[in-house]
Amino acid sequence: MHRLIVGENIVKSYGAGDERRQVLDGVSVAIDRGEFVSVMGPSGSGKSTLLFCLSGMDGVDGGKITFEGKDISALQDNELADMRRMKMGMIFQQPTLLKHLNVLDNIILPSMKGNSKNTAAIMSKARSLMNRTGIAELESREITQASGGQLQRAGICRALMNDPSIIFADEPTGALNSKATQEMMNLLSEIHASGTAIMLVTHDAHVAARAERVLFMRDGAIAGELTLPAFSGVDDPTRLSKVTEKMREIGI
Amino acid sequence: MYIKIIRNELTKNKLITLTITVFVAAAALLVSLAAVVAIHLFGAVDTLMTQAKTPHFLQMHSGTVDRTRLDSFAAENSLVEQLQVVEFLNVDNARLFIGGRSLAGNVQDNGFTVQNEHFDYLLDLDGKAIDVADGEIYVPITYWKEGLANIGDHVTFNDQAWTVAGFLRDSQMNSLLASSKRFLISRNDYATLTGAGSMEYLIEFRLKDTSMLGAFATSYASAGLEANGPTLTYPLFRMLNAMADGMVVGVLLLVSMLVVAIALMCIRFALIAKIEEDYRELGVMKAIGLRVSDMKRIYVVQYAAMAAVGSGVGWGLSFVFKGSLLENIRLYMGESGQPFLAWLCGVLGVLLVYMAVVLYVGGVLRRFRSLSVAEALRFGHSQQAFAGARLFSLSRFGKLGANLFLGIKDVLARKRLYVTMLVVLILASFIAIVPQNVYSTISSKSFSTYLGVGEYDLRIDIQRASDLIGTAAEIAETMKNDPSVARYAVLTTKAFTARTEDGTGERILVELGDHSMFPLHYSKGSAPVGEREIALSALNAEALGKQVGDALVLTTSGKDRTLTVSGIYSDVTNGGKTAKAAFVDEAAARVWAVVYVKLAQPSLAAAKAAEYGSRFGQAKVSDVEHYIVQTFGSTIHAAGLAANAALAVALLITLLVALLFIRLLVAKDRYSIAVMKAIGFTHLDIRLQYAVRSAFVVLIGILIGTMLAGTLGEKLAGLVIAQLGASAFHFETQPLSAYVLSPLMMLGSVMVATLIGTSSVRSIKIGEHIKE
Repeated sequence: MHRLIVGENIVKSYGAGDERRQVLDGVSVAIDRGEFVSVMGPSGSGKSTLLFCLSGMDGVDGGKITFEGKDISALQDNELADMRRMKMGMIFQQPTLLKHLNVLDNIILPSMKGNSKNTAAIMSKARSLMNRTGIAELESREITQASGGQLQRAGICRALMNDPSIIFADEPTGALNSKATQEMMNLLSEIHASGTAIMLVTHDAHVAARAERVLFMRDGAIAGELTLPAFSGVDDPTRLSKVTEKMREIGI
Repeated sequence: MYIKIIRNELTKNKLITLTITVFVAAAALLVSLAAVVAIHLFGAVDTLMTQAKTPHFLQMHSGTVDRTRLDSFAAENSLVEQLQVVEFLNVDNARLFIGGRSLAGNVQDNGFTVQNEHFDYLLDLDGKAIDVADGEIYVPITYWKEGLANIGDHVTFNDQAWTVAGFLRDSQMNSLLASSKRFLISRNDYATLTGAGSMEYLIEFRLKDTSMLGAFATSYASAGLEANGPTLTYPLFRMLNAMADGMVVGVLLLVSMLVVAIALMCIRFALIAKIEEDYRELGVMKAIGLRVSDMKRIYVVQYAAMAAVGSGVGWGLSFVFKGSLLENIRLYMGESGQPFLAWLCGVLGVLLVYMAVVLYVGGVLRRFRSLSVAEALRFGHSQQAFAGARLFSLSRFGKLGANLFLGIKDVLARKRLYVTMLVVLILASFIAIVPQNVYSTISSKSFSTYLGVGEYDLRIDIQRASDLIGTAAEIAETMKNDPSVARYAVLTTKAFTARTEDGTGERILVELGDHSMFPLHYSKGSAPVGEREIALSALNAEALGKQVGDALVLTTSGKDRTLTVSGIYSDVTNGGKTAKAAFVDEAAARVWAVVYVKLAQPSLAAAKAAEYGSRFGQAKVSDVEHYIVQTFGSTIHAAGLAANAALAVALLITLLVALLFIRLLVAKDRYSIAVMKAIGFTHLDIRLQYAVRSAFVVLIGILIGTMLAGTLGEKLAGLVIAQLGASAFHFETQPLSAYVLSPLMMLGSVMVATLIGTSSVRSIKIGEHIKE
């Protein structure tokens, strides 16, 4: 079976009474193992909410989500937490690192939870990831001694520590300059190339164009979909033009 | 604008507002009560002693009195305003009944007297000198308080009976610490009692200038006048009258200071947490040019509002509680006559608490000056706030497990925040442990050794016997032949003149005999051994200006005897001025003798006391437990209640403060909690981390609190207990209760607070705090 996540008819709203606002209106979506999916759409279209619901970080009001065949709404708090820790990696727009831990401790934290006996193996993996992402020199630095781009890469290291099946990335380049964005996308492409699925939410058509499939959202629903060939490792302007063309077609 | 800010902030943080307001109210209540009680107490003592015209100098004397010699001394001494010789007919308690109940077990020396003519009046409850009719009797107020007597009861002695017409305030002997109690009857009735008991004379002087009291005491001693008994002075009467309620004032002040400290700690915690939360906004304010004083005002007005409400509530509540605290003072001493001053001091106390809070908030907010705009805008928090414990890293200490590590790391990294909680927990464990230790110390049998009372079972006082030597010998012989007596000692008290620094003489009473048999606790030095040593009570040592190792010259029968001070001990008996020596002196006049007895089976003490009491009619026999219960019983009982109340208060403070702190922390840490949830930590994991933080802080708090209780607490308690006459002492602790149960209860309180305080962790949604 290739399906990693399947969301069927997802309904989600925020607020209560007159202030109630429907954010997802019966969205159905599926992501295969090893697939790279981007989600685009204007602000308030529900793309980040979809990511939070699919990853189990937020509950749904209606519909069903299965991850590796398991209905996540039926999971207990600890099962859901284990699933997020062991099978999923999270990357956000701002580096969500804990302030009182140094960079290395932030990276190894999810792996150390419930696995404190394998410290040596965990440390070795963390160092290898830091090397791979170009932040080896940050090992013992406090998070206030690193730049935003470096911290974002530390967040990626943390997300990869437990060899997840999928990386959920919510606007990961939103706070980065163009050079750092390029580096970040190269890194994500590399991760994808090693077999990890990625679901990436973005405003940026350049960023979205790295994916194999782009979902376009509007008003809490999937308004369109675009399939692209696998990324070759070199930026191809035709990928971007296909994405922008589709956007124009849908009207977003 | 400020009203809007206050309303918004106070309603947004109801728990903080409520807790801080409650603590400020409690502090204001206690400070106000302490001020009101203190003013009433000192006013009432003054009123009582003024109305009663208490003697400035009193020489108790058993034996004949040469009135002419005393009159001529008074006439020639320019310091004397009035002289009065008062008769006090000391009677056998076993033959004195109130309402059909015998006073046989009573340790007080009860006796009859008549109303005095010139001064030392016995007063009724309106503060008026009592005019007693034939057949009526006025009973010491303390017997009404103890429930022994009521108006209309009959007091009988031998075959005579009187009806209780009322109760009297005695400015000399009101206190239970004064060992005698006077019953007032009419002159006609008194005349019929001739020879019914042993006569004791109170030779009383009022002086023109009380500042010359010391000089007068010296001239009285050097005149060689009647002095077969203890000497007491005006300041001592004042101290005896003020002692019990003065201790209440002391405890109120101490507790109020602790509550103020706790209130300030809560404020500090809430403020630091709030500043961390608002760090970015504060940076923006500073960046756009707002002055530090403007930024401070936004916070100060909120706390000033809480302090104003709390102080007002506390002051209002003080009116509810002051009645019960003043009841004892009003009963024993009457009104203070200074209600306005008491009200004013109460208000000043409350204002003091209010000002302390406002100034403290201003002080905490001084850190705005050093707030870095760049840091605030870039990181949203102070780098210093998380700068601690760099060496304590997960990579090094991962074996502890992630949750345990994260809990400890947070405490170490944010020391400034947690130190506040730590201080409160230290104070709470101090409050829990010190009163318990005081209670277990003063209720232990060995505590009597701090009070001039050796560790014996029975005490037989021979004071009233016409043949003091013969009676003492007879009792000693009986003890020697009684198999139930393990050991005994006969100690005879004799009067000597001690030469003071300026060459004048001061009369002192010295208890002679073998002091090694029933040793006391010596605050300095040791018991006197041999012919050349003497030990002094703390009060005597102070009066004579002597330290251990100093020489003291005693004069008896015209001969000088030079002794070395071997030790100093605490004493509450005989006005606290006693001495002990082991030399033999047949020439000096005997004042009294005491036989101390240790029984083979201490449980028989009460039975043996009764047996010897009936056998030796001229002696007063008391078992030591009974003696201590009657003398300090109310103090011990009050200390027991205070210890339990203090423990309950400490647990309540711990629970409330820990709940407040944890709630605040959870609210402040919402973002970190969301991050942890996002990377796979469960609710339980996160709550466990908070439990670790709490346990870590509470364990350190208990450890430091317990250590402080044993050191600083012992010293502080020593100051209070010194008021009982014990100058130096060590805690007699009950380790199970003080070091196991109390800490466990505090730990339990903190864990309960953590459990409740972290319940909101479940409701923190990842998306609400991380989603862009």
